[in-house]
Amino acid sequence: MAILLMKKINKLINNVKRTMFTSSLDTFISLFITSILFVCTVKLSKWFFLKANWTVVEENIPLFLFGVFPADQRWRPSLWLIILISLVVLTLFTPSWSFFRKLLPFAWIAVIPIGIALLAGGIGLSPVASRYWGGLTLTIFLMMSSLFLAFPFGIILAFGRQSKLQLIKYFCSIYIETLRAIPLISILFFGQLLIPLFLPVEIEINRVLRSIIAFTLFVSAYIAEDIRGGLQAIPKSQIEAAKSLGFNTFQITRFILLPQVLQIALPALTNQAVGLLQNTSLMSILGLVELLGISRSLLANPKFIGQYMEVYVWLAAIYWFICTIMALVAQNIERKTTLVKLI
Amino acid sequence: MKGLRSLYIQVGIGLVLFILFAVLINNLSINLIRTNLNFSFKWLYRPASFALAEHPLPYSPSDSYAWALFIGWLNSLKVIFISLIISTLIGFITGIARTGRNPLLKIIAASYITLIRQTPLLLQLMFWYFVGFLSIKGTLIFPNERILVLSNQGIKIFGDINLTAEYSSLVIGLTVFTGAYIAEVVRGGINSVPRGQWEAFRSVGLNENSGVLKIIIPQALPAILPGLTSQYLNLAKNSTLAIAVGYADIYAISDTIINQTGRAIEGFILLLLSFLFLNLIISLMMDFFNEIITKYQKV
Repeated sequence: MAILLMKKINKLINNVKRTMFTSSLDTFISLFITSILFVCTVKLSKWFFLKANWTVVEENIPLFLFGVFPADQRWRPSLWLIILISLVVLTLFTPSWSFFRKLLPFAWIAVIPIGIALLAGGIGLSPVASRYWGGLTLTIFLMMSSLFLAFPFGIILAFGRQSKLQLIKYFCSIYIETLRAIPLISILFFGQLLIPLFLPVEIEINRVLRSIIAFTLFVSAYIAEDIRGGLQAIPKSQIEAAKSLGFNTFQITRFILLPQVLQIALPALTNQAVGLLQNTSLMSILGLVELLGISRSLLANPKFIGQYMEVYVWLAAIYWFICTIMALVAQNIERKTTLVKLI
Repeated sequence: MKGLRSLYIQVGIGLVLFILFAVLINNLSINLIRTNLNFSFKWLYRPASFALAEHPLPYSPSDSYAWALFIGWLNSLKVIFISLIISTLIGFITGIARTGRNPLLKIIAASYITLIRQTPLLLQLMFWYFVGFLSIKGTLIFPNERILVLSNQGIKIFGDINLTAEYSSLVIGLTVFTGAYIAEVVRGGINSVPRGQWEAFRSVGLNENSGVLKIIIPQALPAILPGLTSQYLNLAKNSTLAIAVGYADIYAISDTIINQTGRAIEGFILLLLSFLFLNLIISLMMDFFNEIITKYQKV
């Protein structure tokens, strides 16, 4: 036992020697980095445990989670978040019953209407106007509903771009290229300021819906490009084979192309979803109090003035955590359940 | 028969799109008449009457809106090109460190990349501005006053180059952010070079550093360039977040102008055109690089 341990340690030391101290330059770099890392770790932990004043985070947890949602109704967004968390857990650790697996995608889709019902109220619940929505709940709601709308739209655009009909092809190409050329914030600005101008006077839509429309317009162009990448990866011979079996265009798309394309494009689509989650923070510039927005108004409060570092570190941790979870869920879907079987 | 059917479908879809646009434009014109703003660009010649903290060319509030927009565009260019150069350097260094042999460098590069990629750019920009610059008390001096001075007013280099806090935090935020993405592109490019090339340069006695620089990177470049182009375009688009730290770039100035004049449609069209133009410049530049590299490789 002891000999084995000694051998292992010896191997480790050899490995370190071989990789970190081969030349004098390597040795210098290694020592330099180690010393810097040491100083940074000491300073950061000193700040984290002694200097930082975490009351600003502790006192305002409900604000970060739900924004200015009426206090007596806070169980509604928290119920929605709990449903979401349990869905994530179920997706990560799915029981092996195939019945259950088939239900999961539908559960994910159903989460959005449930969220709207819980947040907006109406049926049996007292209505809450969208300007009271906020915090992490709004961030996740924006992300999920825009993604849900942008996904089919992006698929249609991608297939439209490949279409033999010239008019559709050019229209889709122009749409995708223009939307990809301009910055997101200008599209969100368009959503907030210009969408009302394009609608009849009597129709009024609220800020949250307008931003969802803007996000959908933006993300669908990027999703379309990812899907197109997947389409190009499928050999032409498959389409020819399907044609020779007598499949029509719809059947080829539905049974041959779409399942494979989604499987290939899944990593890229995950990146889009993570990017979208981060980009919802832009709405804090345009007047929604989502996670970053609520923190900005919190920092403007004289009671917490100057505590930028604490709040930003906390926010970074939340975003980092959610992005990591999303990546994990996507990896899980990719590995366990091939999408080909799901649709 | 088939050609006729596709013609019908196209005409049908064309009609639907046409009607949709007609209804939208009609609504727009009704709304514009209602608010008494008819579509024109004459207001561009009126004096802007707002001050700008930073202007590379002479500017005063009595200058026209058009000139203010042009100054904003120049300000954007100033941020984009400096960030583009520095982020490329950071990206290549990190990307090479990520694929290199030293485990310490690998870990640091990997944690830098994940930390940056998993948090929103806007949050990072605010961090650099509010925590990085505005929280500095007094001045921080590196080696001596002649070389680098940091304060909550910004950065002073070599005693006479003054960079404002807004500009510096924007450039730092964008470079750190884009650098992490470029590092991933570089890593992908390096990994696309066959492993045999590494063994080959080692076996002819080249050392690790010059081998990577002279053998691996040149072969990885064709795979890196397309990704690099899209990262540069993203950088240009992300530079519009300048408004969060109060830097007067093209978007921030368009925003001010639209708020002042109410000319949302015209302002938006100008913003779009300036961005299409900017993208065109970057794309052309990268095409030019691509041509040079392919030529060099053929020889």
